[in-house]
Amino acid sequence: MKIFVRGGDFIYKGNTQETLSESLSEVFSNRVKEEKMILTLLAGNLIHGLLLGGVYGLATMGLSLIFGVINVVNVGHGQFIMVGAFVALTMFTVLGLSPVIAIPAALIIGMALGFFFFYTVMRRLIRAPELTSLLATFAMGILLEEIAKLIFGADFRGYYWAVGKITLPITTIPMSKLYAFIGSIAIALFLYLWFSKTRIGTAIRSVMEDSEGARVCGVNVSWIHALSFAIGIGLTVMSGVLLTMFIPVGINPYMGGGYTLKAFVIAVLGGLTSPYGAFFAGLIFGLIENGAYTLFALIPGVAPFPLTVSLAFWMLFFLLLVKPTGLLGK
Amino acid sequence: MKKTLPKYYPLIPVFAAYLIMFLIGFFVPGMWQMVALLAFYCALGQSWNIFMGMTGYVDFGYVTFIALGTYGMSLGITYCSQYEWLGIGIIVIGFILAMFLASLSALLEAFIALRLRGAYFAIACIGINEGLRYFIEGAKIWGGSEGLIYFGALVQALGRDTVNQLTSFWADFSVFIIAALAAFLNMHYMRSKIGYALTAVREDEDAAKVMGINANKYKTIAFLTSGWLGAGVGAMAWGLKLGYVYPGDVFVIHYTVECIVVVLLGGAGTLLGPVVGGLIYGLSKYWLAVIMPGFQLLIFAPIIIIIIVAAPEGVVGLLKRRLKGTRLEMFIE
Repeated sequence: MKIFVRGGDFIYKGNTQETLSESLSEVFSNRVKEEKMILTLLAGNLIHGLLLGGVYGLATMGLSLIFGVINVVNVGHGQFIMVGAFVALTMFTVLGLSPVIAIPAALIIGMALGFFFFYTVMRRLIRAPELTSLLATFAMGILLEEIAKLIFGADFRGYYWAVGKITLPITTIPMSKLYAFIGSIAIALFLYLWFSKTRIGTAIRSVMEDSEGARVCGVNVSWIHALSFAIGIGLTVMSGVLLTMFIPVGINPYMGGGYTLKAFVIAVLGGLTSPYGAFFAGLIFGLIENGAYTLFALIPGVAPFPLTVSLAFWMLFFLLLVKPTGLLGK
Repeated sequence: MKKTLPKYYPLIPVFAAYLIMFLIGFFVPGMWQMVALLAFYCALGQSWNIFMGMTGYVDFGYVTFIALGTYGMSLGITYCSQYEWLGIGIIVIGFILAMFLASLSALLEAFIALRLRGAYFAIACIGINEGLRYFIEGAKIWGGSEGLIYFGALVQALGRDTVNQLTSFWADFSVFIIAALAAFLNMHYMRSKIGYALTAVREDEDAAKVMGINANKYKTIAFLTSGWLGAGVGAMAWGLKLGYVYPGDVFVIHYTVECIVVVLLGGAGTLLGPVVGGLIYGLSKYWLAVIMPGFQLLIFAPIIIIIIVAAPEGVVGLLKRRLKGTRLEMFIE
């Protein structure tokens, strides 16, 4: 395990989830289980959940955008998040640049990857049956994983961007997490403005609504397809940079799979074709995830972390049954 | 009789391929393991293809059935091996449990997911797979994330010689049987009312419904069949043969993707396709593992992409087009 700490005296041990679970079980075994304390803990964890939820939301916007515009579910979504995490890691440890600079770099790299994959592969699969597009995106994901393994090795790595922390009465929040949250909100807001105010943004929305109609009105649909795919991938890679604030030693070539699945749950929660829905669904998902984790940790004899993941999928199933259009859908 | 015979002609090349594989494995020393691996891929491809080929739905969570089949066999052996009088019956119980679990999950999935179409269906299937895996790990049922290890119990119950024979021959042999059964059922469905109904559904679901076809019923039949066969393969090739099961090992989406790759290489929706695809995929995987261990996926991923883009109809699809109008046409389906 390699941990890089710079610009502070903070030493981090272990994975967030693990430390969280350790601290939780310590708390519960050593002290009296006062209701008040549990509530404090829950409130603290919910704050962390909200911060993480913002990044989840941003990470899912790309998936929803791509599905909305070219009707392809990107099964290799998480692997693009992994690329972003490695961009941040490399810039931080090798070049010594802060994650703030890694964000635009990740956008550029992501968009380049997006254009590359679109013009080599996806362009031919837009009207093809699901079978081919699902398999193609999965294969892209495997390709990225294996290339990352070839370059970086299969170790777990991480870095810690020490920029101070805020101490609240109920919990301590590292500033890096707060910046990541603010960053994701800013990016989502920028995207919202870009979609609603500019010509290209309007064109993308029109293709999402009705691509034939848009073509009739003179929109260059194939260019919009390419651009949306690239923006979707760019957003995803960018969110990978922000995600590294939450996983100090969780960067690994195979980290992506879990995020793909989470992104599916969030995307369905948000209505699958709506990027903004996805952002809010991400916030909700972060809250539910951390809240459920805190509560599951109170039940003796179960493993809270897998149970939380499982809950997410049962939630997905339930949602698909009762409201496949998403929480905000009509 | 004469009238009904020709409709099963396309089975001839499939069965011939399985027979040749079996004979090579049986008589050429040292080939059995490789042939068993090929049969495993052919059987999985064939079983997955029944549902996908007939309905056009992509079951991305197919590995659920394989995993539940494995768990059925594991539970049967783990909990019944203490009753000595059951003897070899524990395998039967395990197999029945495998079928039961697969039916249960297939019906649940059919109830919820088959109402959905396209991408939503694929996502729902992935969802149930992951939900089950993490539920087993989280609630610590069936051994939780530590899994079940029952090879010792199996040896104790049946004796070392029997177990050796079971794991080294009969487990693989039953995979052959399942593969052949899958091909037969596929053909049978294609040529019966179910096949016509599902073709109508695949072409236009709404129109089919208006015509009075109970789409959900036929889809569920195809889904259940596909799930049973997958569970059978899981129970035999993993459950019985390996003697252990971990949730993190069996509920892995990569196996679904392997099924899809097998089917796509051979030709989606064709009868012979999964056999050809299974042979190509199994042999090339085996060969790559020997010459370049650790780099198989790095080589496979671009190859998959190239095949999808360049030849989406697969080997059998191309062959079918070539043979159109010739006398061989009736053997290829």
